[in-house]
Amino acid sequence: MTVLGGVLIWFGVLVVVVSAVAALVLPAVHPRLHALTPVTSLAGPLIGAGVAVLNGFSLTTATVLLIVVLLAITGPALTTAMARLAGEREQEAGRG
Amino acid sequence: MTGLVPAFVLMIGGLVPGLVLVSRGDAVARLIGLQLLSCVAVLVLLLLAQGFGQSQYLIVPLVLVVLAFAGTLVFTRLLGRRP
Repeated sequence: MTVLGGVLIWFGVLVVVVSAVAALVLPAVHPRLHALTPVTSLAGPLIGAGVAVLNGFSLTTATVLLIVVLLAITGPALTTAMARLAGEREQEAGRG
Repeated sequence: MTGLVPAFVLMIGGLVPGLVLVSRGDAVARLIGLQLLSCVAVLVLLLLAQGFGQSQYLIVPLVLVVLAFAGTLVFTRLLGRRP
C-alpha cells in the first residue's frame, strides 16, 4: 500500500510540474487556462488518493479528501470565470 | 518523510512558473498565474502535512483553498466589465 500511495503522489507531482511549465510556455490566455485545469482536476485527486492510501481510514484522510474535493470543485468554476473575463476583454479590445 | 522529499522539491519547482506568470503580462495572464500559485501551494501544504506527519497542519490548505477561490473570484469581478 505504501508503494501504491507513493506512486499516486508521484504521478500527481509530475502532472503539476508539466502543467505549470505548459502554462508558462503557452502564448495565449485560453491555452494557458487549458494547461491549468489538470492541476485541480487530475493532480489534486491523485495526490489526495495517494495520501489517503498512505494514511488509511482516519480523520486525516477525510480532511485530505475534503481539501481535494474543494479544489476539484472550485478549480473549473474559477477557470470558467477567467475565460469569461478574457472573452469580455477581447470583445472590448475588438470594439476599440 | 524521506520518500516524499524529492516530490516536495519538484512541487516547489512547480511554484516558479506561477511566480513568473504573476510578474508579467496583462491582468488576466497574471490572474492565471495567481490561480496556478494558489493550487500548487495547496498541494505543497498537503504534502508538507503528510511529510511531517502532523495532521493538524491540514487546516492551512483547507482554509487556503476556500480563500483562494473567493479571492480569485473577487479579482475576476473587479477586472470585469463595469455595469
